[in-house]
Amino acid sequence: MDLATLLPFLVNVIVGGLVLGFVYAIIALGYTMVYGVLQLINFAHSEVFVTGAVVGFEVFRVLKGVEMNGYLKLLIALVAAMTISGALNVLIERLAYRPLRGAPKLVPLITAIGVSLILQDVLRVIEGFQGRFDLTYTLPGGFANKFCAAESTCAPLGNFLRGVGIDMQLKDVILVIVALISLAVLNYIVNRTRMGKAIRAVAQDRVTAGLMGIDSDRMISATFLIGGALGGISGVLFGMKFGTVNAYSGFDPGIIAFTAAVLGGIGSIPGAVLGGLTLGVIQNLIGVTNILGMVVGSANLEVIDASYQRIGAFLVLVLILIFKPTGLLGKSNVEKV
Amino acid sequence: MSELKPMLELNGVHTYYDHIHALKGVSMTVNEGEIVALIGGNGAGKTTSLRTISGMMKPRRGTMTYQGQNISGIPAHQIMQQGISHVPEGRRIFKDLSVRENLEVGAYTVTDRALIEKRVQEGFEFFPRLKERETQLGGTMSGGEQQMLAIARALMVNPRLLLLDEPSMGLSPLFVESIFDIIVKLNRERGTTVLLVEQNASMALGIAHRAYVLQTGEVKLSGNAADIANDESVRKAYLGEE
Repeated sequence: MDLATLLPFLVNVIVGGLVLGFVYAIIALGYTMVYGVLQLINFAHSEVFVTGAVVGFEVFRVLKGVEMNGYLKLLIALVAAMTISGALNVLIERLAYRPLRGAPKLVPLITAIGVSLILQDVLRVIEGFQGRFDLTYTLPGGFANKFCAAESTCAPLGNFLRGVGIDMQLKDVILVIVALISLAVLNYIVNRTRMGKAIRAVAQDRVTAGLMGIDSDRMISATFLIGGALGGISGVLFGMKFGTVNAYSGFDPGIIAFTAAVLGGIGSIPGAVLGGLTLGVIQNLIGVTNILGMVVGSANLEVIDASYQRIGAFLVLVLILIFKPTGLLGKSNVEKV
Repeated sequence: MSELKPMLELNGVHTYYDHIHALKGVSMTVNEGEIVALIGGNGAGKTTSLRTISGMMKPRRGTMTYQGQNISGIPAHQIMQQGISHVPEGRRIFKDLSVRENLEVGAYTVTDRALIEKRVQEGFEFFPRLKERETQLGGTMSGGEQQMLAIARALMVNPRLLLLDEPSMGLSPLFVESIFDIIVKLNRERGTTVLLVEQNASMALGIAHRAYVLQTGEVKLSGNAADIANDESVRKAYLGEE
C-alpha cells in the first residue's frame, strides 16, 4: 500500500469512526442528561442500552419471516426498544435512586453499579431460558449491502459518497440518519418545549425550580425516560452495526460513551455528541495504526493493532481528567456576586 | 386599608437547619394588600421565615395558613400554585437559560401561551432593561439586572403574595431606588401583597405598612412601620443611629 491508496483508506477509517461515534454519542447523551439533573453517573445506563439491543434483536427475530418493509421492521424495533429502555430507566430511578436522594453522592453511585450487575444477569437469564446467549441480529435483507451498489439506483447522496471514495454499508447510512433524527428531536425537546426548559431549570437549580412550581421529581423521571429512550435507540443501532450482542455487551461501549460524556463536558448535550464522535474516530484510527506502520515502515506502529482500541478511550479519559476536567464544552461554575 | 383581611398567618412556627434552631416560635400575620417588612440582623431568621412560608423548608412545629388553608409541610411547587411567589435570597437566576427562558420557566404553571407572552411583555414594561437583554444568558447579567429578572420571573404567575428576600443586596443605590419604586407600584396598582425581608431597614420601613423585628429566631417587636421606625431600640440596632 502506498500513500496514494492510503488517503482514501484513511478517509474511510474516519467515516467509519464517525458512524461508530454516532452510536457512542447517543449512549453518551443518556449518561450526560442524567448527570445533568442528579450529578449521578448512572452506571446502569450500559444495561439500559443493552436492554434496547436485546429488544431490537427480539423484534427482528420475531419479524424474521414476516413479509414487511425492512424499514418498518426497524421502526418497530426502535419504538419497542425506546419504550422498554425508557420505562426501565424510569423504574430504576424510582426504585433505586430516589430513596437515596438525600444520601451522600457515593451511595447512589455504588447503587448504580449494583443495578448494572443485577440487570446484566436478569438479561442473561431471560435469554438463557430460551437457550440463547449470543444474540445475532437477523437484519432485513439489503441492510448489510454496500450502500449504492448500483449506480442507477443511487440517490445524489450515494453518488457523492462514491465519488469521493467513501464506502459504506446501507445499515451505516441508516444508523447515521436515525442518530441525526434523534439528535434533532432531542434538541427540540430540550430547547423548545415547556418540559425541556423545566428539565434544564431543575438541572441548574432544583430548589429554585420548585419555587417556579416545577415538580423536580417529575422532571427527573422525564429525564430518565428520555435518557432511557436514547439508550434503547443506541442499543438497536449498536446491534445493527456489530451484529451480535449479549447480556454483558454493555460494558465496553458504556465505558467509552461515559468517557465521551466526560470528554465533551459531563452535563453538556452538545459535548456528549462531540465526545462520542471524537472517540469513535480515535478508536478507528488506533485500530489501523498497524497498517499505517506498514506503510510508513515503522515496526513500532505495526505492533499497535485493533486490540489497543480500548486503550484509546481510557487514555483520553485520563488526559482529560488531568488537563481539562470540565471537558471540551463543559463549564466550570463561577459564582456571580 | 379600612378592613384588614388576614392573608397569611404564622402561629408558633419552629424551623430547624439540622440541629440549628432557626425559628423559635414565630407568629405573624400579613393582611391582604399590605407591604410588611421583616427586619433584623444576621441570623435573626428573616430568610428562614420566607423559606418556611414558601415551602423550601419544612417547619417542625407550628401552623401556617394562607387564605384560610393550611400550608405547612406542603412542597414548594404546590404552595407556589396557590399564588405565593418567592424571590429567593441571592436571586437564584437560571444562569444557563436566557432572560426570556427564565421568564418562561417562571410561568411554568401557566399553560395559556398567549397569557405567558402577555406577562413577558408586562415584565419588559416594568424592567425595560430586560427587554434589551432578552436573549442573553441569565448568568451573564449584572447583579442589578439579575434582581430585576428575579422579580419579573416571580411576577409571571401574577402572584397574590410576593415574598422578597433582600432585593437591595449588592445593588447600587440607584438600582435600589428603582426596585423599591417597583415594589410600591406593584402593591398600589395590582394590589399585590408583599412580605419584604431587608437589611436596609430604613428603606424597607419607608415603604412598608407594618413591620416585624426578628432577633435570633423570635419576633421582638411588631407594629406600624412608622412606629417601628421611631422605636429607640430599633433606631439604635438597625437604623445605624447612636
